[in-house]
Amino acid sequence: MGKVVGIDLGTTNSLVAYVRDGVPHVIRDSAGDALVPSVVSLGEDGTFFVGREAQRRLLTAPSRSVYSVKRFMGRGIDDVRDEASLLPFNVGGDPGGVVRIGLDDREFTPPEISAFVLRELKQRAEDYFREQGEFDFEVDRAVITVPAYFNDAQRTATRDAGRLAGLEVLRIVNEPTAASLAYGLDQRDRGIIAVYDLGGGTFDISILKVDDGVFQVLATNGDTHLGGDDIDRLLVELVLREMESSGPLGGSTKQDPPYGARSAEDIQAIRKAVIEAKVDLTDAEEAEIRVDALGYRRKITRAEFEQLIRALVERTIQPVRQALADAGLEPSEVDEAVLVGGSTRVPLVRRLVSELFGRTPHSELNPDEVVALGAAVQADILVSGRREMLLLDVTPLSLGIETMGGVVSKIILRNSTIPASGREMFTTGVDNQTAVDIHVLQGERELADDCRSLARFKLRGIPPMPAGLPRIEVRFQIDANGILSVAASELRTNVAQTIEVKPSYGLTDQEVERMLIESFEHAQADVDARLLIEARNEAETVIHATEKSLRRPNFAEIAAVDLQPGEQERIESTLDALKQVMAGTDRDAIRERTHTLNHATQHLAEVMMNRGVREALAGKNVKDV
Amino acid sequence: MTPDPIPAQHVPTLECRNCGAGAPVDEHFCPQCSRILALGRHGDYFSFLGLPRRLTIDPAHVERRFRDLSRQFHPDYFYNASPAERLASLERSSYLNDAYRALRNPISRIEHLLAIEGLPPAKSEDLSASSGQAAGKVPPELLEEVFELNEQLDEIREARESGTDPAVLRDRLDSARKPIDLKREGHERKVESLSARWDQQLDAGDAAAKRATLEALRERLLERNYINNLLATIDREASSLDVRAG
Repeated sequence: MGKVVGIDLGTTNSLVAYVRDGVPHVIRDSAGDALVPSVVSLGEDGTFFVGREAQRRLLTAPSRSVYSVKRFMGRGIDDVRDEASLLPFNVGGDPGGVVRIGLDDREFTPPEISAFVLRELKQRAEDYFREQGEFDFEVDRAVITVPAYFNDAQRTATRDAGRLAGLEVLRIVNEPTAASLAYGLDQRDRGIIAVYDLGGGTFDISILKVDDGVFQVLATNGDTHLGGDDIDRLLVELVLREMESSGPLGGSTKQDPPYGARSAEDIQAIRKAVIEAKVDLTDAEEAEIRVDALGYRRKITRAEFEQLIRALVERTIQPVRQALADAGLEPSEVDEAVLVGGSTRVPLVRRLVSELFGRTPHSELNPDEVVALGAAVQADILVSGRREMLLLDVTPLSLGIETMGGVVSKIILRNSTIPASGREMFTTGVDNQTAVDIHVLQGERELADDCRSLARFKLRGIPPMPAGLPRIEVRFQIDANGILSVAASELRTNVAQTIEVKPSYGLTDQEVERMLIESFEHAQADVDARLLIEARNEAETVIHATEKSLRRPNFAEIAAVDLQPGEQERIESTLDALKQVMAGTDRDAIRERTHTLNHATQHLAEVMMNRGVREALAGKNVKDV
Repeated sequence: MTPDPIPAQHVPTLECRNCGAGAPVDEHFCPQCSRILALGRHGDYFSFLGLPRRLTIDPAHVERRFRDLSRQFHPDYFYNASPAERLASLERSSYLNDAYRALRNPISRIEHLLAIEGLPPAKSEDLSASSGQAAGKVPPELLEEVFELNEQLDEIREARESGTDPAVLRDRLDSARKPIDLKREGHERKVESLSARWDQQLDAGDAAAKRATLEALRERLLERNYINNLLATIDREASSLDVRAG
């Protein structure tokens, strides 16, 4: 068995953590950085870049670089058309189907893009374990976190991403709950905790009761489209408005505001600048938004910033009140408030949370890292069999089915502790009817049209009987991941029904299988591309060193004294031969000719080194050689 | 959502799918091989949690039972177990969560008791929900109030049509609501005293007296549903005023 890790797959950044000797640790790179930006970029030569490198490419290759893909997980193009129009990369898909992201001439679903980030985290963890001298360093299983308010389709998409990355997903855990586990390690033994989690793209509020190691979620609420991304967008729009009004910069053709006339490069440059200003405003009263490439700069005070984002931040109040009401609690009954997510660094957010709960919120743990730490704790609970702690979570949204007239009949209510089950009886409307259509929905509204369509399926194999006689029991089971499964049987004949569930905004098992196979094929292509780049790099190093020697002012003298006849010519011809294949993609040819040139210059290199030593002994500075 | 509990009396024992030993229906683990038992036939929510069929229960006690059992069969602790045991843990945990949800609330607790004692569910037919009118079969206890309320609602609707100030109408709605609110408060006390009577009869009472208490409880639940529907009707009327005012 390989290693098990906890992963926070975030909108903006992702992290991986693990537990050693009962203590969770975040895994950092050699520079001490724990965050892997959730950005994937397709290079011009077909190589994929993930993380920091991909983030840099947001500025240089915006149309080939995908960020904030979490917002599209488990969603249809109809849901995201508005925000997709503001993004520099290509977001499409068939109406009623999953979102598809176009990169060059290839298309990817959001789980496939997320899988690149997960593979990077898996790799990072494996590199770390290998460095630690672990014999068994492979990472094959993970607990992955999602916003508490994610629906079934979004959770399933996250699990699919894990599978595509070669990870067995042991558990999907809600982010605020995971955070409370991390805090619970050295915090109070019992009490009511409110976790306020404002991340890059999502907002969650969870109310938990902690008693004797049991972390029981009483209620959860949130908004899967509210976070730091939206703050950034308000600032970008502010800059764009000011650019427009202060004269034509970049030849504005009056397209749809606000982004219409701007190139993707411009937008990314502005986005980078406003994020820096936003971060500065955490501690400073004033900051500067500076976009050098567009000749734009302006000062922004914290008061101005807060006025701009106040309405956005206040959108978190209603979900907090609802969660408290669902838990049957007054704000004053909350013993501790905990801040999670990078956006809780914004001072206005902290003030708001203090006011909501009448107490200073906890932020001792790094709000970026606490979710991954909690995921690692949960992973450890699952594989170690430790029983000191137990997490009892809830389903955030009610589950129901469409009945006559498009009304939803609720089967499992929101905030039910999971695993949860429910059942509903169906019958036929026509004599000898052998199939019934069932539409499963998630949401709180009364009408099916206002709820989220999860799946449609046909109950088949009902024994022919007069209308109204069959008693078909459909059982719904929400597991500990918050993911639904359905089973059915006809009670009079005890015949189990076959159910083919077609997810409304998800991938079928066959699609995931196909993607897995494709990703293996592409993995080979990706490896090829990477090896080509490495071969070129090596060749360039040798070419550079050779040319440097040949260009030396005293080379003619060296050649005359130390080289054999024809040696210089041989070096020059092998150098040219290598240069000829450098532009191509024949990796073997590049490596072979690199090797030849290396060989041809071996004697020259020795000569140079000996001269260097001699000159140094003669009192000359080595640098002058 | 309360799944129909399957009465336990016909199947007093359960067969362990691992070792084949027999186990009492309310056991969670096989007495012989100590593996978790498939849910299969199961007892009612009270017996599943190991509680007597009492209506007055200490919430802290139920919560403790819930936590103890969660610690015994939550799926987290069966990650490495066989598929059959994992399924058993999933089903047992789901049933536990349903049971706890039903029993911690006094009203759903009564509903469950009525179901397992073999009374028809205390669900009144579709009343005012779709018609916007407090119609349906009115419980005798409420005849007077319902008559009064319907009259007032009619008047208010008429006044609304003829353009009366919404603020005035809202006041009238508030005063129409008062007697119903009072009725509900009195009603809750009746439910409490009936619940206490059931608890006393549980050990000592004869079958007929117990049955009478259950029937009375069922009547009270029907009334309760009716009262809640009346209040919902008033709320809907009030929100339609808000829409017009806005």
